[in-house]
Amino acid sequence: MEALRLRGFGFAYPGEVPVFENLDLAVERGAFALLVGKTGSGKTTLLKCCKQEIAPVGTRWGSVEVLGCMPDGEGTRAKALAVGYVFQNPENQIVCDTVLHELAFGLENLGVDPDAMRRRVAEAAAFFGIEPWLHAETARLSGGQKQLVNLAGILAMQPQLLLLDEPTAQLDPIAEKNFLHALFRMNRELGITVVVATHAPESMTDYATEAFELNGEDGIERIPLDGLSGRPMGKGTADARRTAEGAAASPRLDGRPCIVCSDAFFRYARDRAWVLRGADLRVRAGAIHVLVGGNGSGKSTMLRLVAGVLEPERGKVENGLRRRQALLPQDPKALFVCDSVLDELREWQKACGFDDAAVDAAAERFGLADALGRHPFDLSGGQQQGLAFAKLLLTGPDLLLLDEPTKGLDAPSKVVLARELERLRDRGATIVVATHDLSFASVLADELSMLFDGEVVSTEPTEAFFSRNLFYRYREDGFLRAWAASSSDGGCI
Amino acid sequence: MGPRSDSGIPTTVFDRYHPVVALVYFASVLVLAMAAMQPVYLALAVAAAWLCNAWLKGWPSALRTAAWQVPVVLIAAVLNPLFSSTGSTELFRIGYRAVYLESFVYGICMGLMLMAVLLWFSNASRVLTSDKVMALLGNVAPTVALMLSMAARLVPQFVGRGGEIEAVQQACSKTRPASFRDRVRWRGRIVTVLMGWSMEDSLEKADAMKARGWASAEKRTQYRPYRFRAADAVACAVLAALVAGNAFLAWIACSQYHFYPVASTLVAWWGYVPYAVLVFAPLGADAFDRMRWRRIERRMRAYRGSSDGGA
Repeated sequence: MEALRLRGFGFAYPGEVPVFENLDLAVERGAFALLVGKTGSGKTTLLKCCKQEIAPVGTRWGSVEVLGCMPDGEGTRAKALAVGYVFQNPENQIVCDTVLHELAFGLENLGVDPDAMRRRVAEAAAFFGIEPWLHAETARLSGGQKQLVNLAGILAMQPQLLLLDEPTAQLDPIAEKNFLHALFRMNRELGITVVVATHAPESMTDYATEAFELNGEDGIERIPLDGLSGRPMGKGTADARRTAEGAAASPRLDGRPCIVCSDAFFRYARDRAWVLRGADLRVRAGAIHVLVGGNGSGKSTMLRLVAGVLEPERGKVENGLRRRQALLPQDPKALFVCDSVLDELREWQKACGFDDAAVDAAAERFGLADALGRHPFDLSGGQQQGLAFAKLLLTGPDLLLLDEPTKGLDAPSKVVLARELERLRDRGATIVVATHDLSFASVLADELSMLFDGEVVSTEPTEAFFSRNLFYRYREDGFLRAWAASSSDGGCI
Repeated sequence: MGPRSDSGIPTTVFDRYHPVVALVYFASVLVLAMAAMQPVYLALAVAAAWLCNAWLKGWPSALRTAAWQVPVVLIAAVLNPLFSSTGSTELFRIGYRAVYLESFVYGICMGLMLMAVLLWFSNASRVLTSDKVMALLGNVAPTVALMLSMAARLVPQFVGRGGEIEAVQQACSKTRPASFRDRVRWRGRIVTVLMGWSMEDSLEKADAMKARGWASAEKRTQYRPYRFRAADAVACAVLAALVAGNAFLAWIACSQYHFYPVASTLVAWWGYVPYAVLVFAPLGADAFDRMRWRRIERRMRAYRGSSDGGA
């Protein structure tokens, strides 16, 4: 029996061309299915159409059968609640203040009686092993923990089908693995059918049983899982490519240091733990310097110290470019003030004195020319990042600080970003990037620093860094393939 | 410092009972402290409240609190004679206005009452943590409890995001505000960004709530982290009896005591004992608990010693 069955399904938002037409799809019970497709191919729309409560408004045709039942038919309420839905942003799904309240939220909505509720919450918490932080405030959890709480809250509602929309896009690699492992256990141990929409399927192929590709015009088709998995990178092809570029990369490392941070100590409050304890950092002018390290290792804090937004409690941070710097936040929404993309790009026109031609050129370069009249919040995640980046570039910074710039971006958007950063470096700007994305760092960085336990444990040129690491390595992914393709297309100019 | 559980909140005797017991206790001592305007009652209330404060929050914090509250009591003592010139024992005169001992004493008592009330409130907020308040509210007003829970979730999120926005705007050095007017506008902009961001997110939050069955059942139920058991009923009953008895005794004491025209003399009276028992009850229970644990630990050590020796 199928958990999800589409027959000739189509959907169009009011007054727009159909997102997709004539989709046929069958996901067996107990399957772990991946749904891949380009940004804008309608993955989210498709998933939402399968979840009655949040189905988008528009015209639909054909049929959707969820757990052997039409969403509009009889007895659908019980069935509808047997479908769990996990959104991309872990932050926005959390409703209550403590983990316990959050786990109980769904059950309270269903009107489950208190004794049964206590038992179901206990089971869900035990399944994921989240008892140690059961009473923690949700605001203090990391992104990975938040997403696990979301999953546990849904598990407590005893779903049979789980729909997930880019659930790991906002997580760091370790949190992503933990989350996927939890998902895998739900699938194999409890037999819950899982459908995940993703643009980074490489990390999920080990768990998945099947994959489908959604393509605007061609509908949906089954694709082999092997084609999606990535090889671990290290010695071999990547190094061969790297040595060729290595010669070009080295002169930038002879530049004089423009940022010197020595013995920096920092904590957010007197009763909180040290975030940085004696961190040293030297960033050379005109280079791309990448900061890597686990969650909470102090990468973002380091960027803010460099920017002068935070002051070290002990030690010194010298930044020769502080008057001409810009900081790209993790969430581009922190930068948006205006009602349209055009106003957004022009916001700092008077203060920085760039002309209209520069605005048009920036919009063109980041693919925003058609979206100038739209509200920044109506753009896709990739476009928002592009807009934030363009807005900062218009101020003509000589030092650019980027905090997790690839978070939530698909491979083509990452390539665009990487090309822009290269162009900026060629213009002589210095760039400091804090990221978890090692494959992104591998093609772009001149130097990498690894942060651990409040210190910078090593700073090395990219090649040396990756050839010496045994475990901290990257895998070939969609981005590296797209990057190689765009490089061979003559993107090297 | 008081003993601390893993979550950093001190464990108290109240943790053995349903939060309603703590609520009844603190409500009673607060009302009694406010109603019993009599020097002995006030002295007992202040002493107990302050020691309780030191037990819950640690001596340094209690001393810091006393450092501003004692001057408040003195100020009340000095100010009262200036406003109410009644009494019979004249201390001195300022111009034509006499300053009497009685109104001075009355001022001190008013200050002490204020201090006791403030301290009891501070203690109550330490014991009745937000999750306990929520659990108490949940039984009477589930919607209000959920709203509070959601608000408690949003506040740290807003604060964090505000900080993030400010950091980003500040880091863009070329666009930093130069004049005062710019600075004001810049602050306004941070609020605008925060609003836009939060509104946008609330759309997704609404979807997430719907996806988890919001408004799907006719009646929402409430998760009950605490159960009301027989021991809680007994504790409430004992407390109620003690409070009722004390209310009666306090009424006798207050009706026999006068500040004006001549302050009544205070005598030793058995009636003060139940009040002392009431206000010192948490401290006494804690001391008892400590002693019991010392005994348990000693026994465990002795047992370990004998079994180690045997092995």
